[in-house]
Amino acid sequence: MNISMNELKASLRRCFEASSYFVGNYEDAANMILWLEKHGLNGLTELERLLPFINEDRDKPLSSVVYEDSTSAIIDSHGRSALNCIAASVDLAHAKALENGIATVTVHNCHNRMFILKALTDRGRCGISVAAYWQNGSQTVTEHAAAIKAGERYPSYSEAVTNLPANTDDKQALTIICSSRVDLTASLQQSKGNRNARYISAEQVAENKQHSVENGIEIDNDLWDEVNRIGTGVLVENTELSRQGAGGR
Amino acid sequence: MTTPAAIQNSLRGDNALPLRPPSQVMDLERLGALHQSRLSFMRTLVRRIMRERWQIEPARFELDAEGYGTVVYEIQAPHGLYSFVLFSDYLSPDERNDRVIATKWDLTMALVEGQVDDTYLEKLRQNVPKQEAGRVDARVFVLSRANRSARNFDYVVDQLAAGQQPDVDRIAKVGYLYRTTAVYGSGKLGMADWEKVRAKHKDFARPFAGEMFVCLMLRNFSLLQAEHIAAHKTPNTFKPMQPQIKRYFGIGNSTGLGMAPFLVNHPLLINQWIEMRELALARVRALGNVNSRVQQELSTLIERCAQHTRDTVTEDEWQTRNNVQVLEDLAALQSHTADGFDNWNSLLQWSEANNSLQGQEMLVSIMLEIYPELVDELEDYHDAEEFLDLDPLMPLQQLKQVIETRYDWALATDFTAEGARETCWYRSEEKMEPRLGSVADEEAKQKQMALGVGYAVSKCYEQLCSYVAEHPQHTTARFMVARPKMRGIVRRIQSMNRCVYGDIQANLLDQNILPMHLLRCKLAFFGVGKFDPRSKLWVRNTMFQGAPLLEDIGKPFSDDWFMPLAPLQSGQL
Repeated sequence: MNISMNELKASLRRCFEASSYFVGNYEDAANMILWLEKHGLNGLTELERLLPFINEDRDKPLSSVVYEDSTSAIIDSHGRSALNCIAASVDLAHAKALENGIATVTVHNCHNRMFILKALTDRGRCGISVAAYWQNGSQTVTEHAAAIKAGERYPSYSEAVTNLPANTDDKQALTIICSSRVDLTASLQQSKGNRNARYISAEQVAENKQHSVENGIEIDNDLWDEVNRIGTGVLVENTELSRQGAGGR
Repeated sequence: MTTPAAIQNSLRGDNALPLRPPSQVMDLERLGALHQSRLSFMRTLVRRIMRERWQIEPARFELDAEGYGTVVYEIQAPHGLYSFVLFSDYLSPDERNDRVIATKWDLTMALVEGQVDDTYLEKLRQNVPKQEAGRVDARVFVLSRANRSARNFDYVVDQLAAGQQPDVDRIAKVGYLYRTTAVYGSGKLGMADWEKVRAKHKDFARPFAGEMFVCLMLRNFSLLQAEHIAAHKTPNTFKPMQPQIKRYFGIGNSTGLGMAPFLVNHPLLINQWIEMRELALARVRALGNVNSRVQQELSTLIERCAQHTRDTVTEDEWQTRNNVQVLEDLAALQSHTADGFDNWNSLLQWSEANNSLQGQEMLVSIMLEIYPELVDELEDYHDAEEFLDLDPLMPLQQLKQVIETRYDWALATDFTAEGARETCWYRSEEKMEPRLGSVADEEAKQKQMALGVGYAVSKCYEQLCSYVAEHPQHTTARFMVARPKMRGIVRRIQSMNRCVYGDIQANLLDQNILPMHLLRCKLAFFGVGKFDPRSKLWVRNTMFQGAPLLEDIGKPFSDDWFMPLAPLQSGQL
C-alpha cells in the first residue's frame, strides 16, 4: 500500500517506543529507517530484517568505550542495532575531528549498520565530512562505503559483493572517519572479485528523495500491519475512566 | 521588504530590538492569554488571497433541494490550480458527535492539487466521507469534516425562506452554521506530506495555510448551502442573506487535547511563531510613531475589543471571569490613554503593572494591528526547519551552564513535591486519541508520552552534574556515549538554546496543569475568537468571523476584520 512519510515515521516511532527504545532514541530509529527508504536505499527491507530481533536490545548492555585517545576510539556496541547506538559513535567522531582535524572511531558488534547513513547526513548538514566503511555477511561477504562532504545534504553510497572469505570471527565492525579539514569521499575500489557493485551518487540520492516526496512510500501490507501491531503497545485500554480524560461530554 | 539577515539582526546582537524576555513570554499562563493578531494564520491567508485575487469558482455544483450532494470548487492561485471537494450527506441528529471518535459527519472535504475528473472524484467519494477509515493519495493535502449547528442552521434557513434576515443578536451568541471537528494535513491518511506541500504548493507553503483555507471554504459553503435550501423551500418568498450579515458568520471549531502534544513536539516551530510575534511587538515599541491618528485608532480598537469581548458568550465560569477582567483592563486602558500617551514602551509597562495577562496580550494584539507596515512582512517567516541537532563538541561545563540559564524554571521546580508528577498524557487505543490521566493508573503511567520536558531536563541535570564531577573535561559527545538515554533531552536543550525563546516554561506533569493554555496558545496563532471552554480539556471557538466573502475577492479590501463586531441590523440606527 501507499503511505505518507509522516505516517511511516509516526508508526515507527510508536513501534520502537513500544519496544522499549528510550525517549529521543525511538525518534532517531524511526528517522533512520524513513531516511533510507525515502532516499531509495531500502530502509523497509532493513526494517523487515530487524523486526524479529526488535526486543532483544533491551537486555543488552549499553555501548562502552574500550579504547580512546585524542583522535580515535573503539566502541563496543555489544550486539546492539545501529538504530539505537550508531548516532552517538558518529557524534564522538565529529567531536574529535573538530578538536584534531580528523578522527577515526571503530564500532564493534553493531547490527544493521546501513542505518548509519542518516547519522552521516545529520553531521554533513552540520558542516563536517564523514565516511564509513563496513563489511557484512557470514557466508558471502558484501562491503559497503558511504560518505558525505561538509555542508552537504546528501551522502554517496556504494556496495559490492566480494569474494573475500567469510570471517568466522566477524566482529560486525564499522569504521567511521570524520574530518573538519578534509572533504572525504568513499567509493569502493574495482577490486578483483567484486561483483554486483553499485555506486549511488549524492545527486542520485537527492533524486530518489524527490520521488518519495511527490508520491509517498510503497510498503508491503504485512510489514505495515506488523509495525502498527507492535506500536499498539503504547496505547492505553479504552475505559470509562480513560474517556473522562479525553475531555468529551 | 525584510530579509532573513535583517530579522536575525533584529533578534540578536548589538543591534537587536528590545524583545520581551523568555521568562516572561514563555510562561504558560501568558501563552494561554494570547489573542488573535494580524499575524494569525487566518489573517495572513486572507491577505494573500485578497492581494493575489485568487479565482475561486464552482466547477461542479450538484446539490439536491435538501442541500445534499457534491460540490467542487476550482481555485486558481498564482502558483497552481487546486480543487476543493465537498460531500454533503444526511446525518441523523443522534449520529452527530463532535468528538474525534465520531464516524459520520454532515460534511466531509478535501483540498486536492490540480483538477478533479470523474474517476478521481469517485475515488474521493469512496474515501473522504469515511475520514480516518478511508485512504487518500498524495494529491490530497487537507482533509476535514464538519457538523451542523442544527438549531442555528435551521433557524437561518427558515428566516431566509420567509424572506427575513437572521437576527444579528442571535448570531452574536453562536456565530456559525457548522463546526469543524478535525482538520487533517501533513501526510495523515495517505495525504501529501508537509515537505511536498512546502516545496510544490507555494500558495500554501506557510504552516497550516491549507488547513485554514479549507475552513474558509467551509464557511463559504455553509452560507451558500443555507441559501440554497431556503431558496428551494419557498422560492416565492426567499431572499438571500445580506452580505454584511454573511460576513459575521464564521465557522465553529472544537479543539481538544490533540493540539497540546503538538506544541511540545514542535518546539522549534512554536519558537519561530513566538519570535515573529515578539519581533513585531519590538518593532512597534521601537519604531511605531505615536501621533493623534494612532491615538484615535488605539481608542477605537480598545472599544472594538471590548465590544467583541462583551459579545463572547460562554457558560464556563473561568472564561467568564477572564472576559470580565479583560473588559475591566480595556476600560482602564481607555481611561489611561484618554489624555494621550507618549510612547508604546511606557504604555506596555503601564499595562504590565495594571492589567491581567489577558489584558496585556490584548494590548499587544492591538499594537500590532495599528502598524501593518511594521508587522505584515513577518508573515513569510513562520516556518522552521525542525532539526533538533546535537552539538557534540559542547563542553559539559557549558552544557551545565546552558541548563542553569535557559531551564532555570525547570531546576526551580520541586518534582518530588506532592502532585508535581501526578498528571500523565497518553494515547488511547480509541483512535489513538490523546488523553490525560493520573499516574495512579499504572498502565497510563507506563505508557505516557514524553511531554514532561521540565522533568526530563532536571533528571538530565542531575546525571550531568555527577558525570561532570568525574569527567570535567569531557565533551557532550562523550557524555552521550556514556549516557545514551539522555540523548533526546540533551539534543533538545542544545537546540532550544540556539533559539531566542526556547521551550514553553511549564511543568506539564503537575496535577494542576491547565491544558487549556496550550490549546488557547495554538488557536490564537491560528486566529480564532470567541473562546468557549466546554471543560478544562476542550474548547469551542469561532474561525473566520468577519472575514471577507468569496464574492469580495477582487474588490477593495481594508484587512480590517480583527475582533469583528456584529453588523447593524437593517432598520437599526
